[in-house]
Amino acid sequence: MDNALYVGLSRQLVLRREMDIIANNIANLDTNGFKVESLKQKTDPASPARTFGGPKPVKFVSADGVNRDFSQGVLVKTGATLDLAIEGQGFFQVQGTNGARFTRDGRFTTDPTGKLVSQGGLPVLDDSGGEIIIDTEKGQVSIGQDGSMSQGNERIGKVGMFTFANAGVLEKAGDNLYRNTSNLTPEKAEAANLRQGHLESSNVKPIIEISRMVEVSRAYETTSKMIDSGADLSRRAIERLGRVQ
Amino acid sequence: MQALRTAATGMAAQQMNVEVISNNIANMNTIAFKRQRAEFQDLLYQTFEAAGSQSSDQGTIVPTGVQVGGGVKAGAVYRVSTQGSLTRTDNQYDLAIDGRGYFQVLMPSGETAYTRAGNLAVSDQGQLVTQDGYTVQPAITIPGDAVSVSISKSGQVEVTQAGQTNPSVVGVLELATFVNEGGLNAIGGNLLKETAASGSPTSGTPGSVGIGTLVQGYTEASNVDAVAEITALIVAQRAYEMNSKVISTADSMLATANQVKS
Repeated sequence: MDNALYVGLSRQLVLRREMDIIANNIANLDTNGFKVESLKQKTDPASPARTFGGPKPVKFVSADGVNRDFSQGVLVKTGATLDLAIEGQGFFQVQGTNGARFTRDGRFTTDPTGKLVSQGGLPVLDDSGGEIIIDTEKGQVSIGQDGSMSQGNERIGKVGMFTFANAGVLEKAGDNLYRNTSNLTPEKAEAANLRQGHLESSNVKPIIEISRMVEVSRAYETTSKMIDSGADLSRRAIERLGRVQ
Repeated sequence: MQALRTAATGMAAQQMNVEVISNNIANMNTIAFKRQRAEFQDLLYQTFEAAGSQSSDQGTIVPTGVQVGGGVKAGAVYRVSTQGSLTRTDNQYDLAIDGRGYFQVLMPSGETAYTRAGNLAVSDQGQLVTQDGYTVQPAITIPGDAVSVSISKSGQVEVTQAGQTNPSVVGVLELATFVNEGGLNAIGGNLLKETAASGSPTSGTPGSVGIGTLVQGYTEASNVDAVAEITALIVAQRAYEMNSKVISTADSMLATANQVKS
């Protein structure tokens, strides 16, 4: 009998976590390069319950992982020279204080020494892992689709774009950065195109998030009802069985 | 419930976005105003189940972990330093910069500020000053009997005085450039100040390598695109509403939990 309560609770815990993820998606509706996430769920078999008619299976609900949808976000034209967007699969690599980080947020700028840095001040790396220095005196920087940067006729480097055989090894680290959690080495993203003067907006689809939120909220209520009726049953059983004849 | 706090960060971020957009719209007709953009970053993630951790004794691993983010923050509000269009005014003291560079202005405090607003005027001492009366550096004095003033693309100021046929050079205007223009700090009155992030200024004559040229009789319009700003405003407002919807949904879930019969 109590199993209904616990199964219901396990479902509610997962629903709350799903709600947290939806809230994070909606909060990041306007965050450059943000990738939408959803919660995967699984049934966790527990030991069968002993009931009147023999053992009955009991399965709890638990969170199985976060699905990250790496599909392309819409490219928005900004016109700024160092606003870069990747079209296709790939990441920019920046040098974080604790190792390399990856990002799709190409809102770059230069630091006082002319080094190309991310908005967080981390150096943006070229395709061989070195820093990129821009001499602003030499005029407009133009960046080709493959990431090669030039000022006038002079080539000054190539913005690195990297991809992973399995993007699932990436973990979000905040500040629009991803951390590589495995020893998988990133490969050069040959198929990706770089767009200068554009930024990639987040790929959150508001309608989908809102409808999922409604679903979650209703499922939560339904489960709550189920817990209630389970409790009702036990209360009635106690009343009836406990009646002294 | 985390969702409540997450949605609150979303609302705060969108509110800031609206403030930045409204400042852009308010300054649509400000000479040489550069539009600003609020940029967002996701907050730290809480990891409930790390990707790659072992899920059984047989050595199977969790392919994707469970990470829940804490919302959003406004990472930076940055100026988009693209060129504004040049508007013809025919005023001989109106100067527009075509390309990179800033006029250097001596503040009353003795510090130097930088501006692209070239709607200059002449002070009672004959010096070239901004609309606030701050002298433009290097100081240039226009003689009182000047009939006409001509300022070349490379900043040479020539005046023709009454009774003379040939113009004489009274000075050369210089422009300052920065490695990272986005790092300059706006102090109001169309003025910007140098910061550690912008790097120190390099000054030179207009038209030299890496520095824009001067155009006399024109002012630089703001680079605010009204349509883009209004669209951004709509997006920001809807995003704000959506975040508030998250708050009310999370609240109703908590209410449901509270209504469970004990």
